[in-house]
Amino acid sequence: MSLRQKLLLLLSLTVAAAVASVAWTVLVRIRHVFDQRDQEETALFVAQFQREFQNQSAGVTDTLSRLAETDRARFVATEVTQSGDLAPYLNEARTMADAAHLDFLEMVGPTGDVISSAQWPARFGYPEPAAMSPKAASFLKREDLPDGTSALGLFFVTAIDGVNPPVWLIGGKKLDQGFLADLPVAPGMTVALYSDAPSTPVTNTAASNTSSSAPPPSAFDPPRLIGVDGVVPNAARYENLVLTALRNGQQSSSILYLTKRREDSISVTALPLKDESGKVLAVLTVAISRSSMVEAQQHIRAIAYGVASTGILLAIVFSLWIAARVSRPIEELARASEAVAAGNWEVSVPERGRDDLALLARSFNHMTAQLVSQRERLVQTERVAAWRELARRLAHELKNPLFPLQLTVENLARSRQLPQAEFDEVFEESTKTLGMEIANLKTIIGRFSDFSKMPRPQLEALDAAAAVERIRALYESACPPNVRLLTDVATEPMPLDADPEMLHRALSNLVLNAMDAMPDGGTVTVSARPVEDTIEIRVADTGAGLTPEECERLFTPYYTTKQHGTGLGLAIVQSVIADHAGTIAVDSRAGGGATFIISLPKASV
Amino acid sequence: MLRKAAISCLALSLVAPAAARTRPRYGGTLRVETTGDPWSGFIRRLVFEGLTDVGADGNIHPGLATAWTAENGDHRWQFHLRQGIRFHDGTAVTSTAIAASLEASCKGNCPWTTMRALGSSIVFTSESPMPGLPALLSSDEFLIHDVNSGKPLAPGATSGSDGGSGSFQVSGVANGALTLAANEASWRGRPFIDVIEVRGHRAVSDQWMDLAASRADIVEVPAGEIRQAQQQHLAPVVSDPVDVLALEVSTSGALADLNLRSAIAWSIDRNVLASVIFQRQGQASAALLPQKVSGYAFLFQPQRDLNKAHELRGGLAAQSLSLAAPTSGAWQLAAQRIALNLREAGFSVQVVPGTATNADLALRSFPVAGADPAADLEQMLRASGEALPTIGRDSAAVYRTERDILDRRTLIPLLHLPRAYAASDRVRDFHLRFDGAPDIDDISLEAAP
Repeated sequence: MSLRQKLLLLLSLTVAAAVASVAWTVLVRIRHVFDQRDQEETALFVAQFQREFQNQSAGVTDTLSRLAETDRARFVATEVTQSGDLAPYLNEARTMADAAHLDFLEMVGPTGDVISSAQWPARFGYPEPAAMSPKAASFLKREDLPDGTSALGLFFVTAIDGVNPPVWLIGGKKLDQGFLADLPVAPGMTVALYSDAPSTPVTNTAASNTSSSAPPPSAFDPPRLIGVDGVVPNAARYENLVLTALRNGQQSSSILYLTKRREDSISVTALPLKDESGKVLAVLTVAISRSSMVEAQQHIRAIAYGVASTGILLAIVFSLWIAARVSRPIEELARASEAVAAGNWEVSVPERGRDDLALLARSFNHMTAQLVSQRERLVQTERVAAWRELARRLAHELKNPLFPLQLTVENLARSRQLPQAEFDEVFEESTKTLGMEIANLKTIIGRFSDFSKMPRPQLEALDAAAAVERIRALYESACPPNVRLLTDVATEPMPLDADPEMLHRALSNLVLNAMDAMPDGGTVTVSARPVEDTIEIRVADTGAGLTPEECERLFTPYYTTKQHGTGLGLAIVQSVIADHAGTIAVDSRAGGGATFIISLPKASV
Repeated sequence: MLRKAAISCLALSLVAPAAARTRPRYGGTLRVETTGDPWSGFIRRLVFEGLTDVGADGNIHPGLATAWTAENGDHRWQFHLRQGIRFHDGTAVTSTAIAASLEASCKGNCPWTTMRALGSSIVFTSESPMPGLPALLSSDEFLIHDVNSGKPLAPGATSGSDGGSGSFQVSGVANGALTLAANEASWRGRPFIDVIEVRGHRAVSDQWMDLAASRADIVEVPAGEIRQAQQQHLAPVVSDPVDVLALEVSTSGALADLNLRSAIAWSIDRNVLASVIFQRQGQASAALLPQKVSGYAFLFQPQRDLNKAHELRGGLAAQSLSLAAPTSGAWQLAAQRIALNLREAGFSVQVVPGTATNADLALRSFPVAGADPAADLEQMLRASGEALPTIGRDSAAVYRTERDILDRRTLIPLLHLPRAYAASDRVRDFHLRFDGAPDIDDISLEAAP
């Protein structure tokens, strides 16, 4: 992974983590705020609803009080108490209840027996204990009905004005769909009533109030949770809340999820409705839809996600820019370093700004400049050294023929005093010697000329085995008697793109050197084998070997270990091998012979 | 002289309208409203006739039969038919047609063993004596109709004959109103009224409103609302008690035990039913036949004894009982009250609609058609599906029979109720027959002012 990628990853992760943590914090905070607001709103609505409920209760109280003050009620009460004839007033309670919009109304005589009943007209003459204990306010009561069921109602008891002994009116409104529909509710609010009514007709106690004999709440019956529009949808989800309120008699609240969608959730408060003994007769549920709040939350969340995503995207782009800005000088330095390592010291990196990287670039440029300068000085020095060596070699090479020439010329000059015959003999001998030495000089000069005129190789398809075979054929018979030439060639193809003549010349040079290195005889082994993508050709002798110093300087031009060598042979060999994109090395130790190893790239077939 | 003449003229002017009122007027349309089907009740008796008829005194009078004789200890009866009678479509009312009608009426469940036309008479024979046959043949069940006639009241029918021979014939059905036209050829003589319009399925309150608004001439007044009708100045005409309100008790199922049925009989407070729910218009009674008919009804005391009921129940907890009753009116209230009474005695009772089948208890009314107690008792038993014993003609035998029936506790009499109708001012000579039905034949209408 590159520096830029690392920087990019690091910066991106850092920024993304930062953005994500900020977004999460914001969302958590928003959710908390919304939940708090929801709770406050629910509490407000519930309080408002309770006030409305109390208003309804007060309405029942007012209605009963007004009824008790009417002349008709007073007349009926008086007539009944005086005559004891209930027949004329059998439907009186029904008539009064209809006029007053009451669901329940009973006129109860001084003895506590029903005079007229709206909800159960046939119940006249039976006792109504609840009427005998008037209350200051309305109260809840379960009222038995003729069909064997019972209904929960909001009741009030009052005595009819001006009648003595007292005649009571007990009546109220049924807590049912109609009652719920009459309750003003805020938008999004729904109310429902769960009545813990006995489902079977009451026996033996029809003539008495049976509200306190209802069985204790045990199981939740969803169809009994009635809202304004009938049975509440998803009523089963109210089970825990309703049963908790039924059993504990305490107001409880919860958030109910009606479906898997969060917006289909409601904040529900269960209000237990109790009779005077504290027994819970029903549970009123006030549900407030959370859809608008959840939608707002989701909207904010979507915005937060959008902002976070955009932030992360921008962070990545910014990280890209930063990483590029930071890593570019380093990458340039790296590339320049690679170039320097590859031998190209003529590189420099841009120097931007005045920071550490700029200082590093400046130092690098200075370093490469110094390297170039030092290399040039080194080259210059080497060149001077080479020239000196060349001059020394030239002087050495030329001095050897020149000395005989000088002696011959001096001897010829002195021979002019000699008799003609002797002079002629000397002259002829001197002329011969001069010719030989001049020819020797020409040879020396020709070698130097050849070295300076190394041609470019003419590459051809060539098998290394053929090159080795050519050497064996040339030198096997020409070897001194005490030297043996061996070849060892691999059987698989060893294709090369090489100049056959130059390669032959190089190998010949190495074989001749090997023979020279074994004046006491030995074995010269020429081998060839493929090594990975190269063809390795070895020329090994069993001579005295080379010292490490000799190995180090062996390929330096004009360096030789021979008495009469020019020091150009191995230099030429190295030049030829280098021209073929190959390398040459020597492996030798003192007394262990020497092995020259040529590696040439294998030609593609 | 002049003074005498003036006084005479004044006297004449005052007397003339009074004289006009005493003379019935032919013509006019009588508008009748009823809570039930228009083609039921007393309306059918205007179109159809029986071999016998119940007179105003409650006794059996000739109808399509002019005379009848019993032989062989009431095992054989021969009814001699009135001659020259024709159905409304002109077909002669023959003994064969009457025999076919009677056979179709009882549909195999006939009270006689054989019945055949013999000349201009009908002969009935039975393996058991049939002392009440003339009264039985006056009942609605055995009204004579032409079995071969069309059905003008059938849905979609545009023609046909009603198949009757009574003083009125069906002339049409329109907008839910049944129209009857006077039968000019009635052997009873042409009725005063030309047309009767019968509008059915009208609520009692609507009927009363129509009567008050002069849109109806005769309306029903249920027994439980007679007092209210009087308070509203509808001047209802009330009959003697002619309906027996009784509790029919199933002997199968929960009430198979006689003691439980007896406990039910002792649990019910009949006096409260009569005095409050039926507004003192009914008579609480533990007898099937009204006192006026039997003369011994007082012997069956309608007392409530809750302790005795508990004792008879003996802790037996019958399962929840169902009590079938009409869903509105005094009957519904009575059913609710009975349910309350029975709950006091330890029974669990649920009031169900009267259409419910297989109810353990049912509140039913049995009409008292005539003054013959044996015949009335026989018709009640026949209507309730009870086994028909041979009922003797003397009061003691009828009493024993009734006592035996009551001891079975399958029919628990509660009240004897009257029937009542209210008529508009334009209806003259409005009175009720012995069975409480309006006597339309004698009615005439005042001319429009």
